[in-house]
Amino acid sequence: MSAPAVLAVRLGPLALPNPILTASGTFGYGLEFAHLAALDRLGGLVTKGLSLAPLAGNPPPRIAETRGGVLNSIGLQNIGIDRFLADVLPGLARYPARVIVNLFGYEFDDYAELAHRVDPYPGVAAVELNVSCPNVKRGGMEFGHDPALLERLVGSVRQATSKPLLVKLSPNAGSPVEAADAARRGGADVLSAINTVLGMAIDPWTRRPRLHTNRGGLSGPAIRPIAVRMVYDVSRRVGLPVIGIGGIETVDDVVEFLLAGASAVQIGTALFRDPRAAERLVDGLAERLGALGVASVGELVGGVRAWDEA
Amino acid sequence: MIARDSIVEVVEVRAHPLPYFTLVLDGPRELVATDAGQFVMLETADGLEPYLRRAFSVADVVEHASSARLELLAKVVGRGTRAMAAARPRDRRRLLGPLGRGFTLPAAGPVALVAGGVGSAPLLLLGRRLVARGIAFDFYYGGRSAADLVRGDEFAALAAASGGRLVAATEDGSRGVPGRVTDALADELAAGARYRGLAACGPMPMLAALAPLAAAAGLAAEAALETEMGCGFGACLGCAVPHVAGRFALCCKDGPVFRLDEVRW
Repeated sequence: MSAPAVLAVRLGPLALPNPILTASGTFGYGLEFAHLAALDRLGGLVTKGLSLAPLAGNPPPRIAETRGGVLNSIGLQNIGIDRFLADVLPGLARYPARVIVNLFGYEFDDYAELAHRVDPYPGVAAVELNVSCPNVKRGGMEFGHDPALLERLVGSVRQATSKPLLVKLSPNAGSPVEAADAARRGGADVLSAINTVLGMAIDPWTRRPRLHTNRGGLSGPAIRPIAVRMVYDVSRRVGLPVIGIGGIETVDDVVEFLLAGASAVQIGTALFRDPRAAERLVDGLAERLGALGVASVGELVGGVRAWDEA
Repeated sequence: MIARDSIVEVVEVRAHPLPYFTLVLDGPRELVATDAGQFVMLETADGLEPYLRRAFSVADVVEHASSARLELLAKVVGRGTRAMAAARPRDRRRLLGPLGRGFTLPAAGPVALVAGGVGSAPLLLLGRRLVARGIAFDFYYGGRSAADLVRGDEFAALAAASGGRLVAATEDGSRGVPGRVTDALADELAAGARYRGLAACGPMPMLAALAPLAAAAGLAAEAALETEMGCGFGACLGCAVPHVAGRFALCCKDGPVFRLDEVRW
């Protein structure tokens, strides 16, 4: 009998007990669900996007199910960074899961200010910049779509914190590889790919869009091939570790992302249908590595046997 | 009780007739502690389609052998409810619950229960709990036509057992008084009916019409709301309800039962 496979992974400066994290916006601040999920089993927990001031979010309807996916427009409802650091973060200290704080700004300077406030807290393992939210009128996605602006933005955050710095990429415009490379030049340590895909759904009887903001972000299995392609492209062309996100549901999906080049993954929409989805995947992945005779997660990363491209 | 995720087994599907149906499930005994107005998130089919679970208020729950026997009363409106109606005995599904905040049980009667169509579901359990406490209620039941007053005779018997009665109202006049149930209630109040409280569930326009009516009558009034719901446990923030405090409440955590005067209609 061989030794159990090593689940621990290292993404640049960020070490995780296993490669399964919960994605921002799909698990609140974690603590609220301690009775429904085993937080201590997670590799990491990425918080709901936090802004300088609390945000009330968008009017309903905010969520609509589509075939194989979920369309949402929550509008970054959150309690604000200061309340998170004072009231929530201390409670997370008793769980080994690494806490990654997702930061969102309306203005260029908001991001560095947010990172500056988070920096003194040892309970924060890393920060993830949300420069890809499609559901707010300004800020967010606009920073992610202009490589020169993104490089400066990431650079400003790099100055404000020594924490490992993740940048979450948008699938919605421009070249993901160019955006990823701009983030790297700005000082990013890790890339998260992808955020939701802009979408729309219309009720055929009422003629109303099914979200109050008309458009929203699509997540769930429907977007997985888009995410796999972006992880594949970005991980091969930009020399940074990548966290794969997009419709991950099964162990096969996790392995697919690892083979495409992801060093870890985030579980999102799957948590809505099963709050224990992430921890089930930790168990499932360990079992799968054993079945494959693979000693560590790292052995699968980027292991796709791609066809030659002309 | 704390919500938990468990496997439940389908006992039967009773059509009333379709599109209305009752799904009878056997689940863990702890579910008997469900409060009237609380809900569950049910996997509607095996596998990934439909993707999300669906929210249903618990229409009834009783102890049965060493399990809890649960009734969900629903209407086929889309893929999720269609899959539920097609469930077979002994099918297994995941069910998360009980979730949310239920109705406040009044200390004394009589109270008015007001249902619009299949919104009657949580009021069945509430009615049973009221009967158990010896609190009388009148059951106002509205719909487009008689077929929409699902399990109407059962509600009539329950109201009678409490010492009250059923007041049916249909827009086409096929059962009870013609017109809307809110008008029927307004007429009864004008004719001198007095209640110590009101509990409602039904379409948003009905609840919006009830709010000023209850306020004018000085009634402590609550309603179980229905919204689009992603997860049911506060993670997705999808089920926003406009709140008078100028913010959004979450239907799944702050509700689904709200005071009528705390919702911005």
